[in-house]
Amino acid sequence: MSFIIANHLTRQYDLSDPWIVRMLTSNKRKQLTAVDDVSFSIDKGTTYALVGESGSGKSTIAKMVVGLLAPSAGAITFDGKMINDETISKADRQRLRRRIQMVFQSPYASLNPRWAVGDILKEPIRAFGLFDSRADQDKRVNELLDQVGLSARDANKYPHEFSGGQRQRISIARALSSQPDVIICDEPTSALDVSVQAQVLNLLKTLQKEFSLTYLFISHDLAVVSTMANKIGVLNEGKLVEEAVPSQLFAKPENPYTKMLIDAVPDFGKV
Amino acid sequence: MSDHLLEIKNLKITVATRRNVLNLVDNLTLAVKKGEILGLVGESGAGKSMTGSAIIGLIEKPVKISGGEIWFKGKRIDQHPDEVRGHEISMIFQDPMMSLNPLWRIGDQLIEVITTHMNISHQDAIKKAKHCLVEVGIDPSRMNAYPHTFSGGMRQRVVIALALAPNPSLVIADEPTTALDVSIQAQILDLLKQICKTRGTSIILITHDMAVISQTTDRVCVMYSGRLAEIGITKEIMAHPQHPYTKGLVASTPQIDASSFEKMLYQIPGSMPALDNIPSGCAFHPRCEHAHDKCRAERPEVLSNRAACWLLDANEGQ
Repeated sequence: MSFIIANHLTRQYDLSDPWIVRMLTSNKRKQLTAVDDVSFSIDKGTTYALVGESGSGKSTIAKMVVGLLAPSAGAITFDGKMINDETISKADRQRLRRRIQMVFQSPYASLNPRWAVGDILKEPIRAFGLFDSRADQDKRVNELLDQVGLSARDANKYPHEFSGGQRQRISIARALSSQPDVIICDEPTSALDVSVQAQVLNLLKTLQKEFSLTYLFISHDLAVVSTMANKIGVLNEGKLVEEAVPSQLFAKPENPYTKMLIDAVPDFGKV
Repeated sequence: MSDHLLEIKNLKITVATRRNVLNLVDNLTLAVKKGEILGLVGESGAGKSMTGSAIIGLIEKPVKISGGEIWFKGKRIDQHPDEVRGHEISMIFQDPMMSLNPLWRIGDQLIEVITTHMNISHQDAIKKAKHCLVEVGIDPSRMNAYPHTFSGGMRQRVVIALALAPNPSLVIADEPTTALDVSIQAQILDLLKQICKTRGTSIILITHDMAVISQTTDRVCVMYSGRLAEIGITKEIMAHPQHPYTKGLVASTPQIDASSFEKMLYQIPGSMPALDNIPSGCAFHPRCEHAHDKCRAERPEVLSNRAACWLLDANEGQ
């Protein structure tokens, strides 16, 4: 049974001039279609990867899945419920949102520099009312830090005291703190060194097994994706041009764009 | 030593803090041959960029070169880097968004570089600028365009054109593709290789990505904690890395492989030591599975055919 279903997703951005300019110059409205009729589904506990270059619409899809952006057309269903459904109550929507969290690309920009790590991790716990007493919250923070390979002492430190890889671990801990079912990883390692990248990717895999998490993994690097994904969707200019399981995609890429992406990956074997 | 364009001997770069003096680069010796691409690889903080900055003379207080020599074309340049900076040695920086002036047309930026470093007329400089753009694959009709109208990959091409404009014999490329997509990265690396071939320009390629190294460079030099861990011909090092750190770097690089999903990536345990807390002996020993007493006590150095690792001696002895 599919956990997340994206059905004919489309997102357009209005790039038109202001109406008065259009009146004077008789220019037409301009629409940019960032995501064009994309459909996919993700099974529970698996990783679906979206691959594509800058501007292919990967991050727009991610934002629509977490509910930060509303689709222009089409819909996303999560565990049988519509995301961004205006007809359901605010409380229900919030309950749904707790179950979908996000890890962003840059660990330098996505943590508040003025907050201690403990406060960063407690914010989702408080926002969703998961633990009421302070003692329980602290216990939960320690547990989270332990799960991502940091120590309980780190709760009192500030983000600038950590390296890039450690900061990304904090981002992952924050995503875990609301006990989600789905984590959207938007290029979680592209700002990191290759050796640190390996640590973070392994952590994501371990956590997936432990909590049977479902990942939507976004990347431009097919080598990274090949170590993470159960299924890969290739995006080009907003369209899903190919979708396959990794073994099939790498052995027999059908779309020329997919082939180009595979060839672009630097490979030890090609020396 | 005639085929060596650049030689670095026992280079030491330090920064003095209130409490103590930290070694950013410690006893680094390497040479760059004419027309080769040398890779400088290591994690953040390994001293790769510091070495690049030292060669081109961009080290500023409180950081200073406190020991060693840098020789370029038989001249010592560590004391007078201005003589070679720009026209003999130039640099390509990581972020193409930051290294172009957003208020200047790219043609004017090129002409400025050319007239600063070469003694030619404005008309010739324009011709030369157009030629440079063609060389990096940009239509010369875009001379009058501003940087914001270019994509990331195109901007990096402009930056490369700027670096090549005064015909330097050495280009230092500091993480030139880290800010780019994988597909654009392949194009830029191909361009660098092609320039090295057609112009005979030597390139020092600084990166943290072993896969990039394997595809682009002739020789590679692995740095750890400001020290040289291993140096040699790229093909040999990729096939038979000697130093445990190099082995870890190679193994932790993701590869396209249908079976890799089943496995965990290899990860080097721990992280690089802080500069004020570099371990005794071999700096890598706390992260090394095979470290023994000698590793903790004595510091290994790179020898002609051996990486800076005591384990290699032990293996030979057996």
